[in-house]
Amino acid sequence: MFITFALITLLGALGMLLQKNVVVAGLCMVAAFFGVAGLFVLLANPVAAALQIIVYTGAILVLVLFVIMMLNSHQEEEAQAARPVQRWLSVALVAGLAFGAMKLVLGSAGVKALAVKGAEMPQAMTLQKVGTTLFADHLLGFEVAGLVLLAAMIGAVALTKRNL
Amino acid sequence: MTGMDAILHGGLQGYLVVALLLFFLGLATVLLRRTLLLQFMGVELMLNAANVALLAFARFHGGDAQAMVFYLFIIAVAACEAAIGLALVIGLYRHRDTTDSDRATSLKQ
Repeated sequence: MFITFALITLLGALGMLLQKNVVVAGLCMVAAFFGVAGLFVLLANPVAAALQIIVYTGAILVLVLFVIMMLNSHQEEEAQAARPVQRWLSVALVAGLAFGAMKLVLGSAGVKALAVKGAEMPQAMTLQKVGTTLFADHLLGFEVAGLVLLAAMIGAVALTKRNL
Repeated sequence: MTGMDAILHGGLQGYLVVALLLFFLGLATVLLRRTLLLQFMGVELMLNAANVALLAFARFHGGDAQAMVFYLFIIAVAACEAAIGLALVIGLYRHRDTTDSDRATSLKQ
């Protein structure tokens, strides 16, 4: 199961990176987000999986696809300059960082100890547990998050409206 | 579970490898593609990779509910970023008639 969802996620992300058509790239991203939701289910966390589908595939991706349709720019525009040096530098940077991070994570003694310590499946995360923690310990953060969302909403309207 | 087995069958290392690969695919998208919409999707992918790592650690920590709270904050910020980022792309398209980040160079001149 794990390998299936991991492959869906990574192939979706790879498709997004390589796909020429922006709409198809957006749909590849849907696949990646669904794969991540599946991984969350395997992590005994159905709450996160539901939120992932509602927020990412439901809200953010619909927004992205709407904007793609609205701008009517389905194909990537012709490059002004080829910039081969910058492209190879970024490939090298990404590959180097990925290699280093992978080595660090797989070689880390702390990760190994935690993997052994938490090997048995914990109880599935419930909405009740999340709600209790959120409203008992992080009430201020919750209110600030609401304020940030309001500010973003007003900002987005102000940026896109031609004449307020 | 040790080594390759842990990566292939859903040990902590497996989730971390997936998170890392997802993050670096997102970073590659931001660096290699020129369309602003795709770069923006790459940023979303990187945020998602952070979520995968966070919740994997939480599960191996005995199902910590604290991580869910931070996950909620991360997706709240991601939603804000989506709204503002797309508004900026639309703004650029209105003024310049392009969504290519290479063509938005007026601050360079």
